[in-house]
Amino acid sequence: MSINFKQIEDKLKTEARKLLEEGKVSIVLAYGKGYDEKKPMPYVVRKTSDIENIVFNEYCTANMARYLVRYPRGTKIAIAVKPADSRAVVQLIQEEKVKREDLIVLGIPVYGMKNFKTGETIDSKTTCGIYNPVLYDILLGEEVHGQPVVSPYDVLVDYEKMDKDGRWTFWKKELDRCIRCYACRKACPMCYCDPCFIDQNKPKWGEKSPESQGNLMYHLTRFHHLAGRCIDCGECSRACPVDIPLYLFHKKVAKECEEMFGQAAGMKIEDKPALVNFRVEDSDKILE
Amino acid sequence: MSRIGVFVCHCGLNIAKTIRVSELAQFASTLPDVVVAKDYKFMCSTPGQEMIAGDIKEHKLDRIIVAACSPLMHEQTFRKVVENAGLNKYLVTIVNIREQVSWVTHDIEEGTSKAKALLNGAVYRARLLAPLTSRFIDVSPDVMVIGGGIAGIQAALELANTGKKVYLVEKNSTIGGHMAQFDKTFPTLDCSACILTPKMDAVLQHKNITLMTYCEVTEVKGYVGNFDITVKQKARYVDHDKCNACLACTEKCPGKGVSEWDEGLVKRKAIYIPFPQAVPQKPVIDRDACTFFIKGKCRLCEKVCEQKAIDFEQQDTFSTVKVGAVIVATGYDLMNTKPLVQYGYGKYPGVYSALEVERLFNSAGPTSGKVTLRDGKEPQAIAILHCIGSRDKNNYEHCSRVCCMYSLKFAHLFKEKTSADVYQFYIDMRAPGKGYEEFYNRIIEEDVKFIRGKGARVAESADEPGRMIVEAEDTLTGKFIKLPVDMVVLSPAMIPRSDSKDIARLFNLSTDKYGFFMERHPKLAPLSTMSEGIFIAGVCQSPKDIPDTVAQANGAAAEALTIVVKDKMELEATTAMVNPASCCACQNCIRVCPYGAPFFNEQKGVSEINEALCKGCGLCASVCPASAIIARHFTNDQVLAEIEGLMEF
Repeated sequence: MSINFKQIEDKLKTEARKLLEEGKVSIVLAYGKGYDEKKPMPYVVRKTSDIENIVFNEYCTANMARYLVRYPRGTKIAIAVKPADSRAVVQLIQEEKVKREDLIVLGIPVYGMKNFKTGETIDSKTTCGIYNPVLYDILLGEEVHGQPVVSPYDVLVDYEKMDKDGRWTFWKKELDRCIRCYACRKACPMCYCDPCFIDQNKPKWGEKSPESQGNLMYHLTRFHHLAGRCIDCGECSRACPVDIPLYLFHKKVAKECEEMFGQAAGMKIEDKPALVNFRVEDSDKILE
Repeated sequence: MSRIGVFVCHCGLNIAKTIRVSELAQFASTLPDVVVAKDYKFMCSTPGQEMIAGDIKEHKLDRIIVAACSPLMHEQTFRKVVENAGLNKYLVTIVNIREQVSWVTHDIEEGTSKAKALLNGAVYRARLLAPLTSRFIDVSPDVMVIGGGIAGIQAALELANTGKKVYLVEKNSTIGGHMAQFDKTFPTLDCSACILTPKMDAVLQHKNITLMTYCEVTEVKGYVGNFDITVKQKARYVDHDKCNACLACTEKCPGKGVSEWDEGLVKRKAIYIPFPQAVPQKPVIDRDACTFFIKGKCRLCEKVCEQKAIDFEQQDTFSTVKVGAVIVATGYDLMNTKPLVQYGYGKYPGVYSALEVERLFNSAGPTSGKVTLRDGKEPQAIAILHCIGSRDKNNYEHCSRVCCMYSLKFAHLFKEKTSADVYQFYIDMRAPGKGYEEFYNRIIEEDVKFIRGKGARVAESADEPGRMIVEAEDTLTGKFIKLPVDMVVLSPAMIPRSDSKDIARLFNLSTDKYGFFMERHPKLAPLSTMSEGIFIAGVCQSPKDIPDTVAQANGAAAEALTIVVKDKMELEATTAMVNPASCCACQNCIRVCPYGAPFFNEQKGVSEINEALCKGCGLCASVCPASAIIARHFTNDQVLAEIEGLMEF
């Protein structure tokens, strides 16, 4: 079975039209035409005449959950989500940034999405490797079954072979290349602080110009702020103009969190964010 | 520009021994904004205090740094000094160079260097300190006492007699605790029930005491002066308002449960009062033993109850009580000695644990006070084994403190009620209490045999079926002895209640390695805990006898009174506040706050903090990803400046 992207696109258009016409939502978050097929854009559908611009193809990697927090509380929104994106929606509901009843989730079961820069399949390599949305109201297509199940953490094998010093050297080298464009922050559905700590002046947490110390401060703190919250969509890495493999750090932290607290981010609405939730049975490994 | 005065204390030689104090003062005088720096032998003494006050006036100081002992000791002292000299009390900073420096090193170089670093950080921080205003809150005048044993009863009565309202919470269906199970009390041998039951009754009659039996604390919110405590009233299946205590139900009931009061030696009914003098003297139904709950049929009690008090539909109910202070007096369990297979408890019918023997002596007990074995025969030889599980590296290292004395009491009672030979197997005899040594000497003269050696093993006798052999080394003669007996009494370790961990968690108490609640200071604050407004009394703190328990209970009552006697209470001004412009509405603060101080303002879409509830712990500030939360007195600027000062050195 392969994914029929055209069919998903058509269904997306049909559902978007229905929801807007019935007045159930005022906004549909989907994908629109970019300047070529490989560069579809996040697209906000506000009226039925916008619907013809909707597209869906294997390059629609953007995580539309990023845009949920932009609208005033109470705005009725329909959102197209791929499997990883649906986890972001769940996580945002957990964090009470959006309300479940304000959302209509259009789930897209899909695999074989591609990185527009390299053309490689991203499934479990830079995203979380699940094929069906964990939360949806309307499913745009059949649930995917029978695809090989690959752990999202398999890609860490080489990284985990490095010792502490090796990792430090690795990240210093990678993060030194950062040009501080903050595309990672902009692409991330969980990075919603305004202002971000790094933009603050009193106290000044880190240098703002792209240099080694400030880069480390920004990225390490961002990794920390996303611990137990990153839903592994991989958008930060794809957004990065200098291709820093941020996903490696996020996946490593996510793996440790999952081992320690027995829950992956954004899988269940009833879960509470792992690092701000105290449970008696929590592991004390973090203190060691 | 601030004008800082630095005062370095020698604390006699406590500090001066491992820190060069004059060098430290000299160093301080070179730091930015420091106008005056001095060292002195005892800064907390009157001349020391006067020196600080004088320098504030003379040098127009606006920040004071005292490098001395832990702020837990003298922060309040120095705050008073600066306040009297006209400065805001939050402008004094204590640098702990005793507990954190001089007492943890022998190396004067190391000590001096670390003290300099800490002082450097403190100066950097002090420059950014701001004056703060304390807040005053109303204090709830009531007190909750948890545990209805002798400690809880005593504390509740003392408090109630001062006119304060007391909620006495007990998880069992009656108050009385372990003391109600005892027959006699050492060393005076007065009847336990005779001295306890008047107090139990006084609790019931007291207009200031709300007795909450069959209840458990499930949630604690708030803080000293204003606790909101949720109490679960477990379903009794008997409406105590209607019940007239005729006890017809307990006669007719066919159900059989294990009598906790008689230590499981006999059965009781499924609808029962634990013992005749129980308070309140109204029955409850034990679900696990009730024929109706097991088989769905019976309801005999319902039929015989003229008051229509039986209610099988009753559910657990929850109520919230507001109190200013809490006394925890949850008592103890005896260690389960079954796992110590060498003593044969549970295997040989002749082996008893201490509380079971208490019941055998008691005229209201299973044998009506006759000392007979399980087969009804009178024992001919009895061995009392001390220190079972306590003073034992494999189990509990602590001494249970009361076993020597109650074993002497047992010996006396055995001698009185039987013609048996009585042997004490002890490691050391400990009788340090008023009249205890005299009691020990009295028992020696009653022809009780003392063998200095811990009982090693209890085995079946090969020659005389039904009898047992106690094996031990008599360490006074160095001989290994085997003694045939037909009754063995074990004195098991006293350990914290099995659910004391839950209590510790609810009230945020620390525990020692055995699970006993930790006092704030072993000598100077033995009844307080690190949680303000929570006090402890009785064996939940450590093993002790009745006189000590009662003394502690009285003390804890007085401690609780110091809080609830006031109408208003001063709260630290060090609370948190939200800068709404930076708040990203992640609501992490709301999730982590143990006091429920932050709340979400839907209108503005930001978190806000109820300062009356805030204790200034700083958790919210540390989890705020947007650093929108400012912890007063520990602002990011202040803390970062201090870190900078520490790192720089």
